[in-house]
Parts: sequence; structure tokens; C-alpha cells
Amino acid sequence: MSTARPEGHESGRIVVTGLGLVTPVGHDRVSTWNALLAGVDGIGEVESFDTSRHSSHRGGEVKGFDPVGRFRKLDPMELGRASQLAVFAAREAVEDAGLETAGYPSHRLGVAMGTTSGEPGQVEDMDDRWLAGELDRMGAFARLYPSHVIAGHVAAELEIEGVVTMLPAACAAGNYAVGFAVDALRTGRADAMLAGGADAFSRITYTGFARLGAIAPEICQPFDRGRQGMMPGEAGAVLVLERERDARRRGAEIYAVVTGYGLSCDAHHMTAAHPEGDGAVRAMKQALRFAGLAADQISYVSAHGTGTPTNDRLETKAVRTVFGDRRLPVSSIKSMIGHTMGAASAVESAVCCLAVSQNRVPPTIHYEEPDPECDLDCVPNEAREIPVNAAMNNAYAFGGNNASVIFTKLNGSAR
Amino acid sequence: MTAGRRRVVVTGAGAISPIENGEVGLEGLWSALAAGRDAFLPIAELQFDRDAEADRLQRATAAGVRFDPRDHLEGNYRPIDRTGQLAIVAAQRALAEAGWTAERRTVQEVGLVLGTMFGSLHTISAFDRRGVEAGPKYVKPLDFANSVINAAAGQAAIWLGLRGPNSTVTGGCVAGLQALAQACELIRSGRSDALLAGGADELAFESFFAFQHAGLLGSADLPRPFDARRDGFVPGEGAAILMLEAEDSATRRGGTTLGILAGHGTAFDPSRGTDRGSLASALTRAVGAALEDAGPSVPIDAVSSGASGLPTGDAAEAAALEQVLNSSSGTTPVTAVKSLLGESLGAAGAFQALVALGIIAGRELPGVAGWHQADPDIPALDLAATPRAIPARRVLLTSVSFDGFACAVVLDRPGDQETPT
Repeated sequence: MSTARPEGHESGRIVVTGLGLVTPVGHDRVSTWNALLAGVDGIGEVESFDTSRHSSHRGGEVKGFDPVGRFRKLDPMELGRASQLAVFAAREAVEDAGLETAGYPSHRLGVAMGTTSGEPGQVEDMDDRWLAGELDRMGAFARLYPSHVIAGHVAAELEIEGVVTMLPAACAAGNYAVGFAVDALRTGRADAMLAGGADAFSRITYTGFARLGAIAPEICQPFDRGRQGMMPGEAGAVLVLERERDARRRGAEIYAVVTGYGLSCDAHHMTAAHPEGDGAVRAMKQALRFAGLAADQISYVSAHGTGTPTNDRLETKAVRTVFGDRRLPVSSIKSMIGHTMGAASAVESAVCCLAVSQNRVPPTIHYEEPDPECDLDCVPNEAREIPVNAAMNNAYAFGGNNASVIFTKLNGSAR
Repeated sequence: MTAGRRRVVVTGAGAISPIENGEVGLEGLWSALAAGRDAFLPIAELQFDRDAEADRLQRATAAGVRFDPRDHLEGNYRPIDRTGQLAIVAAQRALAEAGWTAERRTVQEVGLVLGTMFGSLHTISAFDRRGVEAGPKYVKPLDFANSVINAAAGQAAIWLGLRGPNSTVTGGCVAGLQALAQACELIRSGRSDALLAGGADELAFESFFAFQHAGLLGSADLPRPFDARRDGFVPGEGAAILMLEAEDSATRRGGTTLGILAGHGTAFDPSRGTDRGSLASALTRAVGAALEDAGPSVPIDAVSSGASGLPTGDAAEAAALEQVLNSSSGTTPVTAVKSLLGESLGAAGAFQALVALGIIAGRELPGVAGWHQADPDIPALDLAATPRAIPARRVLLTSVSFDGFACAVVLDRPGDQETPT
């Protein structure tokens, strides 16, 4: 870790003023949040491709999704599904923040998006044509596939001309995007940033996790003794971030303050976490250090909590290393929406913002039997109303990429 | 520039490129570029993953790295695909050049910010086709691990023990410059003291054919950046990585400063690269932000451009450069390394940076080999087909992607202390 002291807060705090969500349990932030608090299970039979040759058949798809109404400039039907989900969530976040009437020039607005797989549907279409001997009909692949088009499509649809970047840090990517946005605002490179993540349900992703033996047969049960694996999912999630003084000046409602983030790398294994949770611990500690908070000031942890036997055991170890014996609430919404890949930590960042502003934390559903190796208060099965002054969002990814972000209450005046 | 901010310095760099010819160090690369050695070979002579469909490729040449991983990687490199292998070779060369031993890395964390356009599209597509053809139970788990876009950065972290921040940046052909920019911010903010930053992409049938299908490839054997007859780029591959450090930390460990990453800027063109003027405006904004970041008092002595031979992209670069250079210092020499290396996608920006490091180290500015006929429809730049001696204190790096991303980076010569503003 760097020996340098974190830069001060001379540019003021960075706050979240808008949220947009499209998830397996809701097509907007309100319905998603209400469903998560109600413990709704968004997992169902996979409909987007044929799973008959797989040994599992369930996942977290966004069903009944119709992007058309949200698009004003681009034609959604010409874009890949991850871009559709991203733009759909971005439009909601921008409207929620009232960004279009905020008076920021377009070149002072930016976008940072995360993803695991970009637009894998484009590769699947190409491969289907290839195998059918019709590779010459591959369409606009070069303009629709490369992952950065997700951020590009969000920016183009919303006529954003500033700092636009794509951070494919796999399943920690949403947190990377939030961290990037914080720095872009803190250094004055932008006046408002859209930060989030998007991933589409994909044959490639599903096949890969199935081959690793990681997919649960029916339900996702993070931290439960009988947990049998993760559940692939899809989502789009976008947060609007601004400097606090700008948000206050224009009278924007503020969900939460982004007080710190931390990044680390396990440098251990591509698909398995470090046996001592080393990287996860360092990311949490760096986030606390930059936030200027002690571990006992954190009220709630949004866990990575995939539901695989290994992740949840090692994550418990890492959380206990940082938080000691204190039993703070640590829940996983992946029990309800599955693992939405590059969108996951963006959805969970939005959930942390809502938890901080509403003093409610979502549960871990399907929790039946405690696991001594996952000795955490995982908020079993029922949402809880508690004071949430500070929420930490943890995300861990293929490649050993770890990212933690901390959201805090705005002096009790959050909405 | 902001007073009191940590300064970010370059203390080493490494690359593996198509012009590699036994000389692995920076001096070898610089002299090969100055000699105008290009990398273009008939595609039948190149070893890249082209499956059984290579006869669909219409271009005669490309720039591929002649590369046997056994010569470069001690250990079991088989779980790592070509993009990852290239990234690791460039990273270990950068570490060696900077004097960052494995032992030192266990004491002080080093991170990695890697730009890439595709990661490995070949790995992803091959994995998917096997799953469809043979059945999902017959795919290789290792291929799935490599199918995520950040796989190369993750593999490099494991191979080299890089425990610091690890980030992957896409953005098409500007990804390499954006990686330098993100690394710069992670160091300035105190999140890291030492980061490898650059880019890597592989030549593969899938991307090659996709570019061909999209009409992005040029018809000539060699690339023609800024030339009147340019009609597309020539595919390339490789990896280039810089060792970036906080100046205070680099000084403490006794590192040598090759250059200063003085500033960067990023912007987006909402026309997604379809409108030349709009794309030029985006690059102009990116350069403006980079110069403001670096402190505008130092004149730009040379430009290491990302021009590749694409009609709109090169025109936008020329228009943006005319605008920013006219308000700077009259006639400024411009070079375009893709004329020698081809379009190495996510690695390209880092190769542009290696060229800039050579210029500020007093090496010749490489010529734009394929540039023969000025294009009357774009602003005139100070271009030359052959190398020139250009004393340079500050070099500007510019790049646009064909779909609207724009980035600029400013590299300064060490030892020239800028006047505080």
C-alpha cells in the first residue's frame, strides 16, 4: 500500500444524487428496492437461451424488459443487451438526479461503466453464424461488441461529451466505476459523473460457471450451511455523482456521501479467492483509510456473497479480520437477484445508498441453517430497520480484483 | 498544474512488438523505429490464431509478433492466452528496466492498469463455439477464466506478484492512453506509489475479420497515416507497459526518471466517430484538459499521434492538432508510430508513449513511413516520412477511437523543472 497520505477534501465531498436500476426483481429503482426489502426471489427458469444440455436451468434474468421507451436518440434494437440495460438505468438515474436541468455543460458530464463480459451476445451471434457457415453475415460486430461501447452508448444517448471510460474489472467493475467517478469529480475533471455497471445474461457466462460447477441447482443461499453455489444474473445500474457543494447549490436531493474506496489485487488465482482473504482485507482497509473511518463506524456491509461454498467462507474470514468479533449486519442481495456480474457491485452500491438514506437493510433470503464457517449476521430472510450511518460495499472478481466502497449519511439530512 | 500534487514519473518501460529483432530493451526499440524498420508481413507468415477460416481474410499483410512464449516466460505459461502472455512479457521488461526486482515487490506493492480493446476475443469465441459444438460439459475451465476482459491484467498480477490496484481499461484504440491516465490519478491520489501502466492486444482471426467486415482495414500493404490515399488501418498486436511511480517514492528507492507524466485529458464524441468535426472537437477538449493539467506554459515540441490511416480518425487528429498547436508554438513535428507497428489497439497508446520517451531522451523522431502525399482536405501538419532529430522538452500524445473516444497525454523531459504556476 502507498505510504502517501490520502489527498484531503479540499474539493469537498462527493455525493450520490440519482439512481437507476434494472434488475431481475424490478425495472426501476423503486420497484427493485421494494422487492429487495420484501425478500422477493428474482431467480427463475432461463428463457433467453436453451439450457437443455446444461445441468442447471435457472438464473436471474430481467424478464419483460422493453428498452424502447427510454431511448430518445439511439435505436435500442440496434444495440447489444448490456448497452440496453446500461442506457435504461442511466436514463432513470439522470431523471432521478434532475441532471438535465442542472445546468452542467455536456462536456463537464462523464460516464464510467463497469462490466464483466461487455456484449457477449454479439460473440454468440457471430459464433452461431460461424457454425452455420454464415460468418459473412456477422453484421456490425466491430461497432457493437467491444466492451467500451457500453459507456459510449450511455454517453451518446445522453449527449455526454466529457470523461467517458469503460472499466471491465469483472465482478468488481461497478465499484471500480464508482471509484473512478469519485476521482474525476474530486480533481475537477467533471461536474457530474454517471457511474455504474451492466452485464447481459449470456450463454458464454452461464456455460463457464456451469463448467466450474459453481451454479446452484435451484436457489442461491449465501452464508447458509447448505449453500450450493451462485446464480448467474443480469442487470444495469447507474449512480449519479456530484460534488456536494454543486448538489446543494442546485437543491438536489442527496442519497449518500461516497467517502472512500479501496482497490487491491490478490495476485493469487484467476478464479479463486486468496485463502486468507488477503486482497479483500487490504481493499476494505484502504477504503476505511481514505474515508477516514474506523471499522467500528461501519453500520452495514453489502457482501459480495455469491453463495459458493468457498467465496462465502473466505469472505467471512476477511470481514472478521477487519471487523473483529462485532456482529454487524452483512447481507447479500445475490440471494434474490443472483450474481449480475459487472453490474453486481453497481446494484449493491445503489442499495448501500438507499440503506444509508432510509435506514433499512435488505436481507439474505433462503437462509435456513447457520454455517460455523460463515459466522456473520447475514440479516436472514427479513429486511431490518436500523440506523445506517455508513455502509461498505465489497466486491471481488476474477483476476483477483477487489474493490470496496464506503457510503455515509449526509449529516442526518439524507432523504 | 496543482501545487503540492504528487508528481508522476516514468522509471522504466518495456514492450514486445512486431519489430522485435533480438533487441529487447528500449534502446533497441528506439533504434529500430528510427531506422524505419516496419513490421508488416504476409499474413500467411504470421503465427496467430486464425482457425480454419483464414482464407476469408482479404488483406495481404499484418503486423504480428513473432513470439514463442518459451523464450520469455519461465514457468507454466499454458493457462495464459496470447494477450496475457504479451502483457506479461512487456510488464516484466518494464520492471527490469526500472530495477523493480521480485524481492522489492514483496516489500512494496506494485499495481497494474492495463488497456485493451478485446482482452482475448479469440479465447471467448473459441470457448463459446466449443460449448455449442461439443456441448457445455466440454469447454475448458481455463478458457473461461481467460474469457473475462480483465484476464490479462489478472494473469500478469499472478505471474509477477502485483498486489497493488489492478485495473483494466477498454476504449478501443485509446485504451492504452486511458490506462496511463487512470494510473496517473491512482498515484496522484495516494492510492498507489508504483503502477505498471500500458496496454496489450493480440492479433486474432475474429477481430481481424470483424474489422474487415466493418470496412475499417486499408487496401495497401503498409499503413498510410495522414496520407491523401489512406483508406483504413493495418492490424497489429503487441504490448507496451510503462513503470509509473510517485516521484518521492521513486527517488527514495533510487529509481531513474525517464520522463514525467505531466498531464492527461479524456473526452467523448457523441456522434461516436461518425462526424469528423465532432470527433475533432472531442480530441481538442481532451488535449486542452491534458495541457491544463500539465501546466500550459511549456511549449509542445513534438506529437506522437495515434493516426492509423483511418479516413475520419486521422482527419480529426489533424484538425485537433492544428487547433492546439497553432495556439502553442508554430510548426510542431508530428509522428505516427502506427505507420511502423500497425494498429495494436489497446497497446497502441503505450507504444506512442514509448516513442515519446525516446524523443525526450534525445533519440530521433521516427518518420511516418507510409506518408507520401499530403491530403488537401485535412489541415497541414509538420510530417516527414523519415526520422528527424528534434530536441524535445514536452511531447503530446493523442488518440481517437473509431467510435468516439478521445484521449491525450503529456510527457515531459525530466530535469526541466517547470515554473510553478
